[in-house]
Amino acid sequence: MPTRRVFLRNSALAVVGTAAVPSFLRRAAFGAVENGAPPKRLVVIFQRGAADGLNIVVPHGEKQYYAMRPSINIPRKNVIDLDGFFGLHPSLTPLQPLWQQQHLAIVHAAGSPDATRSHFDAQDFMETGTPGVKVTDDGWLNRSLHGLARTPQNSPFRAIALGPSLPRILSGAEPAVAMNNINDFSVGGRNPKASPAASAFEAMYDHSSDSILHGTGEETFDAVKMLKAADPGKYVPAPGAYYPKGRFSDNLRQLAQLIKANLGVQVAFADIGGWDHHVNEGAVEGQLANVLGEFSQSLAAFWTDLGDLGEDTVVVTMSEFGRTARENGNRGTDHGHANVMFVLGGPVKGGKVYGRWPGLDQSQLYEGRDLALTTDFRQVAGEAISRHIGNKNLAEVFPGYDIQPAKFLHYLG
Amino acid sequence: MKSRVSRLALLLLCLGMACAVPQLRAKKKDTKLDSGPDEQKRAVHALNRLTFGPRPGDVQQVMATGVDRWIDLQLHPDKISDSSLESRLAPLRTLHMSPRQLAENFPDNQMIKQVYEGKRSMPSDPAQRAIYQVQIARYEQRLQNRQQKESVPPIAAAPVPTPPPSESASDGAKTAEELAAAAAANPESMPPPDTGSMSAMDGANPADETAMTPAPKPKLSPEEEAEARRREDRLYADLNTQSLADISPDERYKKILAMSADDKLAFADSLKGAKGQDFLNGLDPKQKETLQAMNAPQFVVVEELSEAKLLRAIYSERQLEEVMTDFWFNHFNVFAGKGPERLLLTNYEQETIRPHALGKFEDLLVATAKSPAMLFYLDNWMSVGPDSPQALGAPARPMVRYGPYGRPRVVRPHPNARRKQSSGLNENYGRELLELHTLSVNGGYSQRDVTEVAKVFTGWTIDRVQDGASFHYDPRMHEPGPKFVLGHRIKPKGEDEGREVLHMLATSPQTAHFISLKLAQRFVSDDPPPALVDRMAKTFEKNKGDIREVLLTLFHSPEFWSDQTYRAKVKTPLEFVASAVRATGADVQDAVPLARQLNNMGMPLYGAQPPTGYSMKADKWVSSSALLNRMNFAIALTSGKVRGVNVDTQQLAGGTPAPDPSATLSTMETKLLAADVSKQTHDSIVAQLQSPKNDKPQQANDGSRSKPPDQNHPQDASTIAGLLLGSPEFQRR
Repeated sequence: MPTRRVFLRNSALAVVGTAAVPSFLRRAAFGAVENGAPPKRLVVIFQRGAADGLNIVVPHGEKQYYAMRPSINIPRKNVIDLDGFFGLHPSLTPLQPLWQQQHLAIVHAAGSPDATRSHFDAQDFMETGTPGVKVTDDGWLNRSLHGLARTPQNSPFRAIALGPSLPRILSGAEPAVAMNNINDFSVGGRNPKASPAASAFEAMYDHSSDSILHGTGEETFDAVKMLKAADPGKYVPAPGAYYPKGRFSDNLRQLAQLIKANLGVQVAFADIGGWDHHVNEGAVEGQLANVLGEFSQSLAAFWTDLGDLGEDTVVVTMSEFGRTARENGNRGTDHGHANVMFVLGGPVKGGKVYGRWPGLDQSQLYEGRDLALTTDFRQVAGEAISRHIGNKNLAEVFPGYDIQPAKFLHYLG
Repeated sequence: MKSRVSRLALLLLCLGMACAVPQLRAKKKDTKLDSGPDEQKRAVHALNRLTFGPRPGDVQQVMATGVDRWIDLQLHPDKISDSSLESRLAPLRTLHMSPRQLAENFPDNQMIKQVYEGKRSMPSDPAQRAIYQVQIARYEQRLQNRQQKESVPPIAAAPVPTPPPSESASDGAKTAEELAAAAAANPESMPPPDTGSMSAMDGANPADETAMTPAPKPKLSPEEEAEARRREDRLYADLNTQSLADISPDERYKKILAMSADDKLAFADSLKGAKGQDFLNGLDPKQKETLQAMNAPQFVVVEELSEAKLLRAIYSERQLEEVMTDFWFNHFNVFAGKGPERLLLTNYEQETIRPHALGKFEDLLVATAKSPAMLFYLDNWMSVGPDSPQALGAPARPMVRYGPYGRPRVVRPHPNARRKQSSGLNENYGRELLELHTLSVNGGYSQRDVTEVAKVFTGWTIDRVQDGASFHYDPRMHEPGPKFVLGHRIKPKGEDEGREVLHMLATSPQTAHFISLKLAQRFVSDDPPPALVDRMAKTFEKNKGDIREVLLTLFHSPEFWSDQTYRAKVKTPLEFVASAVRATGADVQDAVPLARQLNNMGMPLYGAQPPTGYSMKADKWVSSSALLNRMNFAIALTSGKVRGVNVDTQQLAGGTPAPDPSATLSTMETKLLAADVSKQTHDSIVAQLQSPKNDKPQQANDGSRSKPPDQNHPQDASTIAGLLLGSPEFQRR
């Protein structure tokens, strides 16, 4: 029996009317149609380089904010006000409709509790999910799949990273695939005909005694075959989904493509760099504004592109730490502590800034210089893992962290 | 089931090795290590670790020299002649230019603006002039666009939807290019933002129209009209290019230099992609460089540096020096995409890193600390002491400097001057110096130490960033008073405070340990035995950070020669590409396509943005995408589909046509992998060879133009070579 979902998609097709789209949308290999329950997806986005949360979701109701950032503040008149106290950087205009539709929530003063201001360590901690513990070698997004029912055919796309290498957050026992470019994801390039070299390589890697290469090789060839069967062809994003140029945008477009091709994506990861503005950060315009533009346009396009599949999707953003509350001597900011997180999705109770605001008075700052942390990122991620994708065993996902569902922010409806 | 199969495979592998051992034992010469590998295996191992991979004949040569003697020679690169490499590098003229010359020959926006505003004179050399003319014409276009934009009332805060991309382009490193384009379109933001462009290397068009074209608007704007006009110009220039391509290279070049500025601009815009490449054929290096610079001056320098890096990795006889230069560059990473770095890296690699690659760590540390490349990359050049004369507003002494042609002139305020007048610390260098360059993240320092180190280095700045950048100590920026670093009181003494801190860090046991650990990770294994690292650290301390001595300890350790170490390291993309080219004995006429391959594999040369550089560990480089890229590259390389790289697979197969494919396979296994091939890999290739002949392998789509199949290349030989280079065994060294 066709579900509402299939019906909606078919009507969307009628609107799009191109030949390329139906070929893979018709293949409902996984998900709702077979097993009844709609597949839930969690997408994690990492802003690498420590994004300046205070200039992204601006506490324009704080006098201190303007006092500490004389040359790089976002003037009140330029802020997109959210609730009279917080406001979005003007480059986040594309996200404003999502806020108004209550699909977008914000968690401020959030992040990793570890005190490190090293990019490398802090990213590592946020990906392993064990701040302060360096020996963890798998990532929490990988662990979040432990014990969950697998998609019917054990899809290699169940856990996917968009990019040339598998990030720490997705490494671990659950098979995961890194994909840089859908169109090059095969042996022999775009040619649809199976390459005989591919079968020779597959035979080599499938039975290789080299454990590292064997494991990756096996996943790779499964994914290649499945992708070939899904025939992504020339993808046309949904009407109204305008992806800007750039790697991050390309990656989200390809992720939308994989999700829409019903390849069984459950968790996915993409990252965007260029946030480390020690010098000349800019305010309403400038370096931060530029990267925020790509960030917000890409996210908005991704959301539009997903269409009704967004109902089953939750996107969580994070960055390794925030930046100093005060601007530094070069109209930039140095490494700080707490930051802002976005949560976007169908089941999200958006239009609200979650978390407790610690204030920016000198006595309220962390180590006298940074925004203090009031929400652990694991609390935010844990809610999505437990209540959205359905893994209740959070002690295993975040070992050593006493996560209490009672303390969830309840940003999910 | 599966585990049983792999156990079986393992068993077969062991059986195979057991059969091979007696044969290998017979050749055993070295008696130093009782249970150690035989001399050939030692030679293979040494080549795998000290070089970018063995070339045909290398193993025999190392054995003839004696493994230990060969290692000793590699530790003394000055004793090794490298003339054949030098002739390959000769066409890359930028390698021999000073930062100053680079800045003048390959002007950035800042330079162009100065000439445009009459603050700097137009060069008289006709080739340079041509480059400037095109860039000035582009600058004028941007100015016009901006004026037109300003004259149109701004559209309210409503989001301007980005137009849908005209085609779903999605090759890896676009972001940097976009940012550079945005910076180019927005001259206020000069110098360019944190990220820049590597696009010349990823095959995109460096001078993409997007740099000058605003987003399309509903009705035909003056900008659009201008753009339409330019398109017409380009079309005309395309035809022009076509007719120019038919005349002799010298005539062609002369004609171009004689064009009007507008024609030059249109011509430069048409110099893109493969067509442009054809057009450059036959020109001498300087002519080529000039035309490329007309199109995109900012990309020429890093592109030539990338070519040089690959040519050195592939052809240098001083392999260990190249390995170590790569190691240290990565340790003291600097990103080509940040601001003027693209003009500073040539000097950084050649003058700052390479001379110290096997020398004293402290010399290297001081050299990097003073290098404009590092000072700019980690922002120290702008860090000002909060209580320094500059921060307190003391007037600057008027400065007279000498212009490019020796005329004295009073220095006008630099466009950055206002920012430079700002009055605060920048911690970026201080932190990475402690965390990444010396003590390591667990090295026992605090946030306070970071801040104090940042104060110590205030005043370590750059003279003329955009124009030949050199180190300069500016006492006006220096924070007065004593500083306290790691429990030591640093007395106030200006620039020497920095020297004192660098000495302290270079001689710290933490640093000795950290550097030893990283070296062991490069040469031994991802998780090297702690006992070995400790011994290396002792050598480091005893010999005042003598890198050569530390490596000697490493190369003479039983851990280095143990069986667990043999082929235990997964190659990085650079190591994989260079070793594949070396193994096949290929002739590289153009290394740019190889650099492009590295972009696809996630390791663009000089393109690591974070100060951590690239990982040396397997987990970073073993992923689905990476493996596919490697397999595709292997097949493309051996079937002649990588432009500019010629592989003679027939020669590799033994010269004369082999009696049958299995003989070819056996020859290739020995040549490419020293016969360290698993039964699984061997059988997979045999099965492939026995499949119907019409199943020719599909070639990788690597963006290069395909050539007609060469009748002299037997299909089998190239298939075998491709499969071996893409095999699991070849991914390790």
